[in-house]
Amino acid sequence: MIPADSASDQSNATRELSLAESPFLHLLERAQNEDGGWGFQPGRSSRVEPTCWALLALLQLQARENVKERLSRGVQFLRASQLSDGSWPAAPAQETGCWVTSLACWALLAAKDSSGAAEKGLHWLCDDWPKDSSPWRRFIAHFFHKDIARHNDSYRGWGWTPRTASWVEPTAFALIAMSQCPPDMLPRSASRRRHLAKFLLYDRMCPGGGWNCGNPRTYGVAGESLIIPTVWALLALRNQQGRSEVEASLAWLEKNLLNIRSGASLALARICLETFGRSVPIHEQDVRTSFDKNEFLENVPVTAWASLACNARPHWLAVEVPETA
Amino acid sequence: MPDASKSLIPSFQRPPSRVAIRRNANYGQDLSSLLYETLLEFDPPVRGKTVLLKPNFVGPDPLGVMNTHPAVIAAARDGFLRLGASQVLIGDGPAMDRDTEAILESVNLREYVRTPSRVFVDLNVDDVKCVPLKTRASRLKELYLPKTVLGVDFLVSMPKLKTHHWAGVTLSLKNMFGVVPGSCYGWPKNVLHWAGIDRSILDINAAARPDFAIVDGIMGMEGNGPIQGTPKECGVLVLGDDPVAVDATCCRIMALRPHKVKYLAGAGTLLGHLNAAKIKQLGESIESVRTPFAVLKEFKALQEN
Repeated sequence: MIPADSASDQSNATRELSLAESPFLHLLERAQNEDGGWGFQPGRSSRVEPTCWALLALLQLQARENVKERLSRGVQFLRASQLSDGSWPAAPAQETGCWVTSLACWALLAAKDSSGAAEKGLHWLCDDWPKDSSPWRRFIAHFFHKDIARHNDSYRGWGWTPRTASWVEPTAFALIAMSQCPPDMLPRSASRRRHLAKFLLYDRMCPGGGWNCGNPRTYGVAGESLIIPTVWALLALRNQQGRSEVEASLAWLEKNLLNIRSGASLALARICLETFGRSVPIHEQDVRTSFDKNEFLENVPVTAWASLACNARPHWLAVEVPETA
Repeated sequence: MPDASKSLIPSFQRPPSRVAIRRNANYGQDLSSLLYETLLEFDPPVRGKTVLLKPNFVGPDPLGVMNTHPAVIAAARDGFLRLGASQVLIGDGPAMDRDTEAILESVNLREYVRTPSRVFVDLNVDDVKCVPLKTRASRLKELYLPKTVLGVDFLVSMPKLKTHHWAGVTLSLKNMFGVVPGSCYGWPKNVLHWAGIDRSILDINAAARPDFAIVDGIMGMEGNGPIQGTPKECGVLVLGDDPVAVDATCCRIMALRPHKVKYLAGAGTLLGHLNAAKIKQLGESIESVRTPFAVLKEFKALQEN
């Protein structure tokens, strides 16, 4: 794997300079709310998910004027949004945390926040077991649902909401968050959780490579892979290069680049292929052209991904903490 | 106005519902005139109001068999504007794929609706408001729903005519799953499955209260729908002022028994009319457009003898 930070200083400087005219940063700046957070679109209420993506994008641009202050306010918003059990809710006033906890931990770890909020969040994640793999559920699935979907239910990842089922993207986000923190920050159960979650991802891969939300086969019919879940699963498995599932999924991604129809998929595919050191036929200009078409419907997470895709990412997914640490 | 605080009207207190069936062989025909003329018969209260069309966008669909066809959406939008609506928005929150832009591109919405970015609302990422569920059909006590859905004056469910491998059929009531925001509940909106699909459908429809339904049945899907099924030409548009009655009529067109669809049976006691005697049929007769749909073996009991 070629780490993202191996690009030359000159190359970084060129990319940062070109970003000076970037509409992505302009939209991210415009969308930050008074409370420090970001909504999904400019003028919308602050939410945890878009705040995390905006922070992760702005962290790569800290040298720019005012960015540090924006980052600080964004981190404050995240800290203030954390629930007492350590999790984060998807929407204001929600009293139950969910999958965005992984994103919040990832963003706070990347921002080097020392408040302990991320550690508390990671402990919540490790205690949050999905319900679909409980012995009773597995019994029911074995005898009554065996024709619907053939999963190996002994593997367990993370769900979108607590006490439901494991799905690909929340599992990938939890793995990425855990890969970004010092080993002593994780509870003892983390190693087992990560092991089970990685095997869940392999098990849920669609025939031929790639992932969809987590249904590789329903009623015997193969599911179709999608770009976004494939990228997140691959990034979660980025230290598993050479494994057949990872190679098949990279090949699927490369084969399907021509079918990409959105800024989100363009940006994420570019990030993924760069992270794996593959040749990247998606150019920065392609992402900008896609933005010019409809401004990504002013979607903040998509804009943040585009900013990340068009910028050097020296501090992004650069460190992988060993799983057994 | 869809208002979650409005108490539910038991079906026996509703006046008879009206459902129109229009024959239409393909998407290239003049759908605008057909829909406008049909809407005129219903005279919906939309003058000066904001209308939200809620199509069924499931995923990338180059063959046009999975999602509500943009020609039908554009024609409906045109019809409501001609009836005097001040604004007609289009909104959906695709359930299986968060890449809404990719879905819009794959259905080619921009060819049919000018500046779709100005009229389309991605309900998955809209601002949300907590709505207590008064029906409590499922074990859910509340749902966070998009403020756009709760704030418009007239909500129109615009599904595709399809079978569904969990619910039997997916029509205007099941289509309302798409108003539940993925940003809160994920892709798919799995919490609804855990709460029971059939019961969740009742809770969502009781909370969001769609005012009207327009079903794209020109090309439907049978078998293992709503994504992996087989395209099925049916050649109809079905419209009505009671989504339950519209869905019941669609079932009869598909040669399925609406009372055997669990959530429709429940909806018939809570939300609208299921019995044919309570539905005034306009346009074509059911018999003249009847097109039996294949279902998975789990749903054989739905089929008419």
